[in-house]
Amino acid sequence: MKNGKFFVLLFSAAIILGFPKLTFANSEYVLPYPSFMPGNFLYQPRQLISKINYYLYFGDFGKFDYFLKESDHHLVEAKTLFEYKQYFLGVNALEKSNNYFKQISIQLVKAKKNKKNTSEKEIILKKASEKHIEILTKLKEELPEHFRWTPEKSPPTEINFRQLIDTSIIIRKGL
Amino acid sequence: MRVLFPLYALFLTIFVVFSYLFIDQNLFYLKNLYTGFAYQNRGIVSVAYLLSILIFFAFYYLFLKKINNKELFKLIAVSSLILIFSYPAMLSFDILNYIATAKVLFFYQENPYIIMPIEFVDDPLLLFTRAANKVALYGPIWVISSGIPYLLGLKNFVLTLFNFKVFVTFFYLGNVYLLQKYTKDPKATALFTLSPLVLIETFVSSHNDVVMMFFGLLSITLLMKNKWKLAIFFLLLSVLIKYSTIFLIPVFLYYFLLRSKGKTVDWEKIFLFSYISMLVIFILSVFREEIYPWYGIWFLIFLPFLRRYKFILYFSILISFLLLLRYLPYMYLGNYFGAAPIMREALTFVPLLFFLIIYKIKLSKN
Repeated sequence: MKNGKFFVLLFSAAIILGFPKLTFANSEYVLPYPSFMPGNFLYQPRQLISKINYYLYFGDFGKFDYFLKESDHHLVEAKTLFEYKQYFLGVNALEKSNNYFKQISIQLVKAKKNKKNTSEKEIILKKASEKHIEILTKLKEELPEHFRWTPEKSPPTEINFRQLIDTSIIIRKGL
Repeated sequence: MRVLFPLYALFLTIFVVFSYLFIDQNLFYLKNLYTGFAYQNRGIVSVAYLLSILIFFAFYYLFLKKINNKELFKLIAVSSLILIFSYPAMLSFDILNYIATAKVLFFYQENPYIIMPIEFVDDPLLLFTRAANKVALYGPIWVISSGIPYLLGLKNFVLTLFNFKVFVTFFYLGNVYLLQKYTKDPKATALFTLSPLVLIETFVSSHNDVVMMFFGLLSITLLMKNKWKLAIFFLLLSVLIKYSTIFLIPVFLYYFLLRSKGKTVDWEKIFLFSYISMLVIFILSVFREEIYPWYGIWFLIFLPFLRRYKFILYFSILISFLLLLRYLPYMYLGNYFGAAPIMREALTFVPLLFFLIIYKIKLSKN
């Protein structure tokens, strides 16, 4: 073999790269970054991925993760849309987030029935609830109490933000 | 050989007993066998381990010098039947991860690519499983097929542990069959099948690398028979066990290129490319985490076809030895930090660089 140089280079690289690397983690509950918003051409593919994920996240804990992830995602989407005064789309996203959030505790009940210790998941859910409520409380301060949405060629719709956000908070408080 | 056989069997038996000195304190299923010796006498066990590796390689050298078919199969039988009873987490804890992952899927019925074993806070496996904070690391074919040894374990941990060993052994034997069939040379087959690295990583630590490489080798042998559809299928199976054999794809492309041009295929060249390709991914594994000793199996499987390349032969045997030395720093220091990683890299690469330099000087002199 006349590939001595090649091997020397390969192993020199291995020595240099082989030394340990440090990584750090943050344990605080963090909401995701806003993803693709309605109107973006990647919004529908993202919805499709979410539907596929529903089946990949099987099991009680898997579904717990799935519903929490989706609830987080739609809450962030709603917040972003409200900030850009896309109220109608924002309401849709918040309602989706609420529906997903309602499912989370149902998964914990199922997990308990299957004799799984849910104590850690309950802590995560509590932290998530607190974070969601924090966001919702801010939104409550920033948004108008009522809004009349008049789409083209359709009758107007009255949006009661106060009621919607109060309901969302109640869902998160598990009341 | 007559004298060697009983000596080898005796040595393996002692090595099996030695492996039980490493039982984890938290592995309560084997608490009756726990002594704590390896953790209280790190210096002694490190020297004993080094000696064992040297003896292993001495036997390997003697076997390679003079071995026939009958002796090869006898040695394989002796090695597997004795070493299979060793304590599997002596050098690596991966078998415990295999069990934990299988349990997530088959017992808890959760997706192991999403849910980590550590999320089942009451599970007794957490007491001694080292990578419980990771989702499944291996391909779906491995995760699904690990259901066989797991379910046959009937929820008995020790039975499950040894089922995994038996499961991996079947694929080792598959490799023996393929190598002997295509090399028709017991000395060539012995290069892989009796390699101390292969024996330790397969029968002691029960790594799934022999499973992945069985399907990888099978796919190439199917190419030899011109059954390329089946070959692609088995390559895919191999990739879906541990992903690394994705590096055999260029070899397949080279084969198809030759075929499309109507050229005859030089199979020795194909095995040489396979060896080099798997060596490249072996080296590249430092980007992911680090080079683990059992990764050597990825390219060593092709060594029996490349016996006449003296450089590859010496390089492979040397690296097999050096890879087994990578266990020493942790064994001696008891941790993976501080001097341990530096010692680990030095033990492997410094002698290897010396070998490469000496070989280069020798080549230039000739």
